[in-house]
Amino acid sequence: MRKLTFNGVIGGGLIGLLVLVALIGLVWTPYDPMALGFTARLAAPGVAHWLGTDEFGRDVASRLMVGARASVWIGFLTVTFAVVCGTFIGIVSGYARGWVDGVIMAINNALLAFPGILLALGLLAVFGANQYGIIFALGIAYTPSMARVVRGAVLSLREREFIEASRVMGNGEIYTMLRHILPNCVAPITVLATSMFGWAILSESALSFLGLGVPPPAPTWGNMLAAGRPFIEQAVWLGFFPGLCIALTLLGINLLGDALRDKLDPRMRGLK
Amino acid sequence: MTGKTPLSTPLLSVGGLSLAVTHSGNQVVKNVSFDIAPGEIVGIVGESGSGKTLATRAIIGLIPPAVRHVGGTILYRGKDVLGMKDRDLRQLRGGEVGVVFQEPMTSLNPSMTIGRQLEEGLILHTKMSVEERRAAILSMLTRVGIREPERALTAYPHEFSGGMRQRIMLASVMLLKPALLIADEPTTALDAVVQRDVMELMVELTQAEGTAVLLISHDLPMVARYTNRFVVMEKGVVVEQGLTEEILQAPQHPYTRKLLSSLPYRGTARELDMTRTPMVSARNIVVEYPGRKGLFRKHAPKRALHGVSVDIHVGEVVALVGGSGSGKTTLGRTIAGLVQQTEGEILFQGRERSADWRDYRLNCQMVFQDPYSSLDPRMTIQALVEEALRLVPDLDTPAKRRRALETLEEVGLSADFANRYPHELSGGQRQRVAIARAIARRPKFLIADEPVSALDVTVRAQVLELFSNLQKRYGFSCLFISHDLGVVEQVADRVIVMQDGRIIEEGDRDLIFDAPKEAYTRKLLSAIPALDLNQTGGVTLKWRLEA
Repeated sequence: MRKLTFNGVIGGGLIGLLVLVALIGLVWTPYDPMALGFTARLAAPGVAHWLGTDEFGRDVASRLMVGARASVWIGFLTVTFAVVCGTFIGIVSGYARGWVDGVIMAINNALLAFPGILLALGLLAVFGANQYGIIFALGIAYTPSMARVVRGAVLSLREREFIEASRVMGNGEIYTMLRHILPNCVAPITVLATSMFGWAILSESALSFLGLGVPPPAPTWGNMLAAGRPFIEQAVWLGFFPGLCIALTLLGINLLGDALRDKLDPRMRGLK
Repeated sequence: MTGKTPLSTPLLSVGGLSLAVTHSGNQVVKNVSFDIAPGEIVGIVGESGSGKTLATRAIIGLIPPAVRHVGGTILYRGKDVLGMKDRDLRQLRGGEVGVVFQEPMTSLNPSMTIGRQLEEGLILHTKMSVEERRAAILSMLTRVGIREPERALTAYPHEFSGGMRQRIMLASVMLLKPALLIADEPTTALDAVVQRDVMELMVELTQAEGTAVLLISHDLPMVARYTNRFVVMEKGVVVEQGLTEEILQAPQHPYTRKLLSSLPYRGTARELDMTRTPMVSARNIVVEYPGRKGLFRKHAPKRALHGVSVDIHVGEVVALVGGSGSGKTTLGRTIAGLVQQTEGEILFQGRERSADWRDYRLNCQMVFQDPYSSLDPRMTIQALVEEALRLVPDLDTPAKRRRALETLEEVGLSADFANRYPHELSGGQRQRVAIARAIARRPKFLIADEPVSALDVTVRAQVLELFSNLQKRYGFSCLFISHDLGVVEQVADRVIVMQDGRIIEEGDRDLIFDAPKEAYTRKLLSAIPALDLNQTGGVTLKWRLEA
């Protein structure tokens, strides 16, 4: 049954490459990503600096490698946070119904009514602008949409006869939720989580752009993209390469997400 | 094989029709031929996958995109339907050939009033004025038995029951006085009594208008009752066609014989010890669904059961029958513990069941109606059956595994099914899994809610037989809920008839079937035939009189 799909290979390849680059960035980079170089400011991509240098003469390639770690880490932890909290809230809300559902959904809807970035901004003001502040803030901002999607799935699942069958067998509520409801929610969760990963990386750049992200000089793809903006006419590579990295990562995540969803769902197996 | 040729020229003549799935080239309809004379009622009988629906869709030029026409002709009044232009086809559909589909819940547009929907066809196909249309619609609604036709004009489909919707559907088709009516499983979604009313109405209306009917169904007795000729299809091929009476008396093809022998027959009466404490007894059960407090008005609580008492003895199979809305499913679910009763008590082996819920849960299992939704799609067959054993004490993991495989074997699923997922199984196989799951614990009591209603005729016969064998082997008591009296006649020891949340009649099966007292019971019984099998594999269907 181990058939490789086009989506899986391309997506897996892109994400594998990203992780590899991020890992290498931990131990080795072509240059010190923080080292200022006054001799080669805004140098075009070439033999010495593969992807050029920025306005302080720092090597873009090295900074991208180090930034990969920050971006991926932020994306990964944010999504994990949102998936865990959102799924928990969604399942409890959808399964309990009644007033529990009413209260949870009222809070949830109030949070949803806030633009995510605004909510994150407010939370960042509380937690302080650093990597974990961002993860926490974005995680909280994304939890309501995850909760909502999971609750919807649970509401339709709980009316299915196999849930009643589980009750008739005498299985407890917790067991039923974990054994029957949760696995059947995996498809919508995977789909939403993969797009959230993309939003998280983009939001991190947006927050960095507003000066609330990971503070410079530490590089993230987001703040590199933001920093490249004033030089877009002289040195297009400053914005282009971080942007390309973000785009390829998102593509990889989405393809991998599709492949994973198909793989995890027994109903999709055997379909061509 | 062919019956008497119709006297007049055929209205519709299907000749050597073959349809194939485009991408695989698989022929799903092979060389199908039959004729329909004006005003005649012809049936097509077949199980799912027999190609009966596809063949009839082709008559009105509605072949799904994935299917291709590969041979044969469909002549309607001598003109080839398959070669028609879209404009002519649209004229044909509705105007000349009307269609009643199976699902009355989805074949009417939920956001349009009944009046608008009925008018649509008239605007399209006739030159009537507004007043004429209104008059025609009102008289047709009256004819199909809608009580307040004026009010119905402005009502929406959801305000009507399934049977009423199917009447409205019939009205909308018959308004245009088509020459041919295609009825594709027109009553399958309805319960037995309503089914018969709708069929009678359809036959009466079409006969009055001189409309020919092509009746497509998996229900052989129903087709036999209303047609003079019918066609039997299996896997895309016409295996037999001819006069109804001749086919019933002396079926030629093995498949027809199999269909006939799959009809439910009366099981043998059993002597049961009724003096012992009943396995389960429900006393004066009342179930009320609380009224909702709306913004502007309060809805009164709805009473689904009005103090119902049932005893199920050791080893006894008790059938609970009634139409939809009779409360039979609610009673079953209450006894299963899925619905909390408002009043009344449920005793298990003489003790209030709440005294030991765990024991009750271990001993009371349920088989659900829909095998497509009663199995968790993400679990393998073996895991599904093993899960039923999770809470059983005194069984270690290897023993549970062994028991699961044994039980699967018992329901006729070999070990290579163990690692498959439900979607890889057919409906009948899934229902076997559901039964395996229910009996794996060796429960003392089983509730079966319409366990075979969703299955094809031949599969239904096999599953019923399996059920009876298991019941005999393990001797569990059973509450068998069904609207299909044929099935009940085969498996039940005792029958309880319900209507509007009350028990109106109960007694031994033979007594209820042979000497029903209540009018409603007689009405239920009039919907199913009594079978008389002969030596050649044929049957005589005897319809019970309502009066």
